[in-house]
Amino acid sequence: MVGETLRNLLMIAWLLPLVGFAVEIFGGFWGSRQSRAAAWIAVGCIATGFVCSFSALMIWGNANHWSVMHKAEHGASHESHDGHQGEKGHEEHAPAGHEAPAEKHGSVSSESQYKLTALAAEEANTAHAAGPTVYSGTLYYLARFGSLDLSLDYYIDSLTLVMFTMVTFIATCIHLFAMGYMSEELTEEYVDHHAHLSNGHHVHRPGRFYRFFAFLSLFCFSMLGLVLAGNIFQVFIFWELVGICSFLLIGFYTERKSASNAANKAFIMNRVGDFGFLIGLMVLWTFFGTFRFGETVNDKGEVVQAGLFQLLQRDDTGNVIRDVETGEVSVGAADAAMNPGNARKTIPYFLLVVAGLGVFAGCVGKSAQFPLQTWLPDAMEGPTPVSALVHSATMVAAGVYLVGRFYPMFVQEVLLTIAYVGCITLFMAATIAIVATDIKKVLAYSTISQLGYMMLGLGVFGWGAGLFHLVTHAFFKSLMFLCSGSVIYGCHHEQEMPKMGGLWRKMPITAFTMLVGVIAISGLAIPGLISLSSVFAFSGFFSKDAVVATSLAFVKANPSHFLLFLMPLLTAGITAFYMFRLWFYTFAGKPRDMHVYDHCHESPLIMTVPLLVLSVLAAFCAVGGEQGPLFLLITGDQPSHVSHGVAAVAGASTLTLPGHDAVHAVHAEAGTYALIAAASGTLIAWLLYGTTMVNVAEMKRQLSGLHGFLVNKWHFDELYDALFMKPAHIIGKFCTWIDRTIFDGIIHGSAKVMIAVSKWDRLFDESVVDGFVNLLGSSTFAVGRSLRVVQTGRLRQYVMFIVVGVVALFAILFTTFPG
Amino acid sequence: MNPEFLLSAIIFVPTIGALLLALLFDSKNSEAMRLFAMATTLVTFGLTLMLWGDFQEGTSGIQFEVAKQWIPTWNVYYRLGVDGISLPLVLLTGLVSALAMGASWSITKHVKGYLVLFLMLESGMMGVFLSLDFFLFYVFWEVMLLPMYFLIGVWGGPRKEYAAIKFFLYTLAGSVLMLVAMLMFYFNAPDPGGRFNLIYLADAASKGGLLSPSLQITAFVMLFIGFAIKLPAFPVHTWLPDAHVEAPTPISMILAGVLLKMGGYGIIRIAFPLCPYGAQYWAWTMVAIGVISIIYGAFAALAQTDFKRLVAYSSVSHMGYVLLGLAVWKVNEANGQSIGMDYWQMGLNGAMFQMIAHGISSAGMFFMVGVIYDRVHHRDLNRFGGLMGKMPLYSGLSAGLFFAGLGLPGLCGFIGEVFVVLSTWNFSWVLAIVAASGVILTAGYILWAMQRVYLGAEYRGPHPEDLTPMSMRETSIAVTLLALAIVFGIFPAILFNIMEPSITSMSKAAESGYQQSAAQVTQLQAQR
Amino acid sequence: MAAGLNAYLLVGAVLFVCGVICMATKRNGIGVLMGVELVLNGANVNFVAFSRYTDLGLDGQIFSLFVIVLAAAEAAVALAIALNFYNNHLTIDVDRANKLKG
Repeated sequence: MVGETLRNLLMIAWLLPLVGFAVEIFGGFWGSRQSRAAAWIAVGCIATGFVCSFSALMIWGNANHWSVMHKAEHGASHESHDGHQGEKGHEEHAPAGHEAPAEKHGSVSSESQYKLTALAAEEANTAHAAGPTVYSGTLYYLARFGSLDLSLDYYIDSLTLVMFTMVTFIATCIHLFAMGYMSEELTEEYVDHHAHLSNGHHVHRPGRFYRFFAFLSLFCFSMLGLVLAGNIFQVFIFWELVGICSFLLIGFYTERKSASNAANKAFIMNRVGDFGFLIGLMVLWTFFGTFRFGETVNDKGEVVQAGLFQLLQRDDTGNVIRDVETGEVSVGAADAAMNPGNARKTIPYFLLVVAGLGVFAGCVGKSAQFPLQTWLPDAMEGPTPVSALVHSATMVAAGVYLVGRFYPMFVQEVLLTIAYVGCITLFMAATIAIVATDIKKVLAYSTISQLGYMMLGLGVFGWGAGLFHLVTHAFFKSLMFLCSGSVIYGCHHEQEMPKMGGLWRKMPITAFTMLVGVIAISGLAIPGLISLSSVFAFSGFFSKDAVVATSLAFVKANPSHFLLFLMPLLTAGITAFYMFRLWFYTFAGKPRDMHVYDHCHESPLIMTVPLLVLSVLAAFCAVGGEQGPLFLLITGDQPSHVSHGVAAVAGASTLTLPGHDAVHAVHAEAGTYALIAAASGTLIAWLLYGTTMVNVAEMKRQLSGLHGFLVNKWHFDELYDALFMKPAHIIGKFCTWIDRTIFDGIIHGSAKVMIAVSKWDRLFDESVVDGFVNLLGSSTFAVGRSLRVVQTGRLRQYVMFIVVGVVALFAILFTTFPG
Repeated sequence: MNPEFLLSAIIFVPTIGALLLALLFDSKNSEAMRLFAMATTLVTFGLTLMLWGDFQEGTSGIQFEVAKQWIPTWNVYYRLGVDGISLPLVLLTGLVSALAMGASWSITKHVKGYLVLFLMLESGMMGVFLSLDFFLFYVFWEVMLLPMYFLIGVWGGPRKEYAAIKFFLYTLAGSVLMLVAMLMFYFNAPDPGGRFNLIYLADAASKGGLLSPSLQITAFVMLFIGFAIKLPAFPVHTWLPDAHVEAPTPISMILAGVLLKMGGYGIIRIAFPLCPYGAQYWAWTMVAIGVISIIYGAFAALAQTDFKRLVAYSSVSHMGYVLLGLAVWKVNEANGQSIGMDYWQMGLNGAMFQMIAHGISSAGMFFMVGVIYDRVHHRDLNRFGGLMGKMPLYSGLSAGLFFAGLGLPGLCGFIGEVFVVLSTWNFSWVLAIVAASGVILTAGYILWAMQRVYLGAEYRGPHPEDLTPMSMRETSIAVTLLALAIVFGIFPAILFNIMEPSITSMSKAAESGYQQSAAQVTQLQAQR
Repeated sequence: MAAGLNAYLLVGAVLFVCGVICMATKRNGIGVLMGVELVLNGANVNFVAFSRYTDLGLDGQIFSLFVIVLAAAEAAVALAIALNFYNNHLTIDVDRANKLKG
C-alpha cells in the first residue's frame, strides 16, 4: 500500500516534467516569443514534483516510523549532541527539517526502547532488500524472451527519496533563477554577441525562451527517471536521455561553433563511458539473466526471481562467496531452493570485476572523472542555469549516484579503481582550477574535483560519505553556479574574472551567498570546545570530513595506498585556495575593468531569492554531520555489508575495507587535518588575492612552465585529439578508400575483365567461327567458278560427256572389280 | 473481408492501380495521377492494417494461408500466408510505400511512368513478404528488381546509369545463387508435392530430412550471399551508397526502408529454417561479418562529405546489427544443445525489431535529406549550417529522426541495437565488445553531421533564398515517422508481441534441425 | 529355236548406240529428239527382254509401258521447246542454243 502510494507520487514527480516538455515545446513553437508561459509551466511541473517527492519522503518515513532516524541515537551513543542538532535542523533545514519531530520522538523514548528500535533497524539493514524500507516493482514490460525479461521498474529506498527531493528542489530553484537569467530571450530579435556571421555581424535570431525551459523539463524527467529506475538497464536508458538533454542544453546557443563543439564533445565522451557501461551490462545480462536491483514479486507476494543484489551473495566478512575449487563466484546460491535451474550458475571472478569496471566506466564518463574529464569544462558553453542544474548538481552526480546504487555489485578491485580514479581526478582538476580565469571554468573544475572526492569516498568504502558529499555538493555548487550566473548576468555576459573585482559593492546579495558557498565547499569550520563533532560548520565541511575520515581509515588499514589519504588532504587545501581566489578575484579588491564595473548591477528578485534559499541549504543541510538527519536518511538503506566493513581474506592479497567503527575511530584526527589544510589554503588565497602583499603576476611569470601546463589542462585535449579524433577520421577515410578502390575496384575490375573477355569472344566469333563458314562458301564458289568453263552450252558436247562418263564408269567398274 | 482474399488484395491492389493509371489517365494531368497513386498506396496500407487487425497475436503458425496450384508439373503453388515474422514487415512496407508516395511530389519527369513503376515495385515487395512458395518468392524477388532498376536508372541523379546497373547486377548475382540453392532443395525434398513449399521444407529440415549436413553448408552459403548482398553486409555493400545517392528521395526511402529488410527476412525465413546445420556452421562468420559491417559502416560514414552517402553508410552500420542479432546462436558441439537459447531468441527478436526500427529511422533520414536537397540542390555537408535558425521545424524533426538512428533511448533505434548487443556476449565476448564500440562511432558521425548541417551561425551553401519552411505534406510525413519512432521506442512490446511466438518456434525448429544433422554427422564419423 | 536373251540385248544395244550417235552428231533439234527416242526404245527392248527371260515378271513390261508414255510426253514438251526455240532464233540448230553456257 505504502509502496503504491510512493510509486504513484514519484511517478507524478517523474512524468510531470515530460508532460511539461511536450506542452512547452509545442506551445512555444506556435506561441508568442514574448510569453513566459513555458517557464511557468516548467516551474509548476517541477515544483509539483518537489511537493510529491517531499510528501513521498514523509510517507515513507512515517510508514517505517523513521527507523533510520532511530539509528541516529544508536550512532549518537558515541557522542551526545543530537538534541541540539535536531533543533537546528528543525529551524533551518527545509527539506530535511521536518524529520526533526521524528528525531524528537527518538530522544524522548527511553534507553531500552531505542535500543530495541535500533536493533530492528539493524536487522532491516542486514536484510536490506527484504526490509520494509525498500519498495520495488515493475511499471511495464519492454519485452520478454523465454526466461529473460526487460522492463521498466521502480526501486524506492531512502537514497531514491533523498535524491528525488534534492533534485526537484534544486531544479525548482534553478528554474526560477533561469526565468530571470534567460529573460533576454523573450524577444523576437535576440542578438547573440558570441556568434558571428561571415560578414562580421552578430547573429540576430528569434528568442528561444520556451525551448530552454522545454529542454530543462525534459532533463528533469530524464534525471528523475534515472533515480527512480529499478533496474540497471533502465538506468542506462535514462543515462542516455540525460546525456542527450545535456547535449541539447550545452548546445543551446546553436549558432556558436564552440557551443555545438562542446555539446558534441560532451555526448561523445559520455558515449565512450557508455561503451564500458554496455560491456558491464552485457556481462551482467549474460551471467545473471536479470537487470533488476530487487526481487521480482508476483501478485501473490511470492518471489519469482531474485534481483542482482540478492544474486550476488556475500559472506559475513563482506566478501563475495566463491567456489572453493574453481574460484568462480556463485550466482544466487541462496536462491537455489526456489529456482533450482539457477542453482549452479557461476560467474568467473574476473568477469565480475569487468562488469563492475564497465558500469563504473559509464560513471566515469557521466561524472567527468579521469580520463574522461575534458568535456565538463567545455560544457560551460551552455547557459549558466544549465551549468548549475545539469553540470554540477544533478546529471554529473548521476555517476556517483550509480556507483552508490550499484554498490553491492562492486568487488574490491573495482572499489580500489574507483578510489584511485577519484583520487587522480580530484587532484588534477583542482590544480587546473587554480589557473582558470573564466569564472564558470573555475567552478567546472571544482565540480570535477568534488566529484572526485565523492568517487574517492565511495571507493574507500565510505558509501554514506560519498553520497553525503553528493547531496551537500549539489546544494552549494548549484548555489555557486547560480551566483556566477548572477555575476555574468549583472556584468552583461562577461565571464573573465580578471575584468571583475570589487563587485560586492554592486551586488551584495550575490557576493554574500557566494561566500556562503565558498566557505561550504572549502570545508571551513569553527572548532567547538568539547570536540570536533560539535563544530559549527557549513555542509561541505561535514561531508568532506566524512570522505577524508573514511580514506584515513582505509589508509590505516591498507598502508600501501597512502596516496588515497594524502591527495584529498592536499587537495582540500587547494580547493580552499582556488575557491577563495575566485571570491577575492571577483568580489573583493578594486575594480579592474571600470567598464564592466560601471555597467554592473545586482540581479532582480527572481534570481536572488533562489540564491538566498539555496545558500541557507548549502550552509545547513548537513547539520549534525554523520549523526545528522541528512546523513542518516541517505544511509538508511545502505548496502548490508557496508557498516561492518570487509575483512581481508586470509592469505589473499585483498584489502581490508573499513567499517563504521573504524571510520569513527579516526574521525577526529582526519577532521583536524582537513581543517588545517582548508585553513591554510584560505590563508594563502587571502595573501595572494585578498591583499596586495604578493605580486601574483610575478609568481605567474616565474612558474610559467607549470602555469602553461595547467592552463592547457594537462594537455588532455591535445592528447585525445591526437590519439582518438584524428585516427578515427583517418580510419574513416581509409574505409571509404577501401570501398572506393578495393571493393569497387574489384567490381570495376571484374567488369573490365568481362569487357575484355567479350571482346575476345567477339574476335573469336568473327575470325574463327565466321571464318570457317566463309571459307566454306568461298571455296565452293571457287570450285563452281572453275567448273564454269566446262559448261559450254553445247548440247552435243554434253551428250559426248555423258557417253564418255558412262564408258569411263564402266571401265573403272570392270577394272576394279574384275568378274 | 475474406482473409485469403485479403492477402492477394494486398499484393495486387498496387498492380491494379498501376494498370488503371497506365490506361485511364492523361499523362499531362500529373496531379490527378499522383493523387490516384497516393490513394492506391493508402488503400494498400489500410489493407495491411486490416490484416493486422485480423491477425491473432500470440500464435506462432502461419495464418491466412492460401494455396492454389499454379504450375502443377513443377509443383509450384500460389501459396501465401503471414506469421509474426512477416506481418511487421508487411506493415512496414505498406507504411513506407505510402509515405514514399507522399514524398514523390517532387518527381516531375515522366510522372506516369514513375508512378506505374512505383506501384509495381510495391506489389513486388508485398509479394516477397507474403509468399510461402519458394518459386513464387523468387518470382516476386525478381519482379521487384526491375522497377527498381528503372526507377534509379531514369529518375536518378547524375550517375544514375552506373548506380542502377551496379544495383541490378549485384542483386542479380545474389539471386542466381539463390536459384541454385532453390534447386538443391527442389531435388532433395522428400515429398515431391512440397518441393517449393517453404513451410513444408522448413518442417522437413527441422526433422533432419531435407539436406545432408555438408549440402546444408553449401546451400546456406549460397542463400546467405544472396541475402547478404541485399542486407547489405560487408564486403558486398558497395552498391548501396551509389544506389542511395543516385536514387530519387522516395526511392531511397523505399530502398532503405523496405528493400534492405528483404535480406534479413530471407535469412530468417529461408536460410535458417531450411539449413539449420549450415546456419550453425557459419554462425561465427555471420556474427563477425555483422560486427565488421557495424564498425566499418560507421567509420566510412564518418568520412563522408555527401549527406546522403553518410546516411547510406549508416544503413550499412545499422543493418550490421540485424545480421549480428540473427546469428548469435551458440551450441555446445559436444551434445548439440544450444547454450543460452534465450539469448539467441533475444538476438533474433532484436534483429527483427532493428529491421523495423531502421525502416522507420532511415526512411526518415533519407526523407529529411531529400527535403533539403529539393530546396538547395546540393548535399555537401560542408556547405550547410545554420538550418536550425532558418527552418526550425524541419531541423527539430530531423534531429528527432537522426537521434532515432543514433540509438537514443525512447526512440526505436535504441531497442533493436541494444537488445542485439546484449545478446551477443553469450556468443562471443570479443565480438560483443567490438560491436558495443559502435555506439561511440554512431554518436560521432551523426552528431558531427548534425552539427555541420543544422547548427552553426549561418547557411554557407548556394540558394540560401530557397530555404523555405516545410510544406504540410512534408511535415506530415516527417511527423508520422518520428511519432512511430517514439511509439516503438517506448512500447517495443507492440512489435515483440507479434514477432516473439513465431521467432521462438522458428528457433526451436532450427535447434532441433541442427541436432538431427549433428547426429547424422556423428554417425558418419563413427562409421569411418 | 527361239532367239535368246542375248539377241534381244544386242538389238537393244544397237538401238541405244544409234540413238546416242544420233544425239551427239545431229545439229538439228528434231534429229536430237529422234536420237532420244532411239535410246529410250533401246532401253524398252531390254526391259521387255528381261521381263521375258528372267524372273522379273510383269514389272519390266509395265516399266517399258511407262517409258513409252514418258517418251510421248517428253516428245510433246521437246517439240514445244523446239517450236519456241525456232520462234526465237529462226532455227532449230542446237549449237546455237548456248545461252546456258556457264
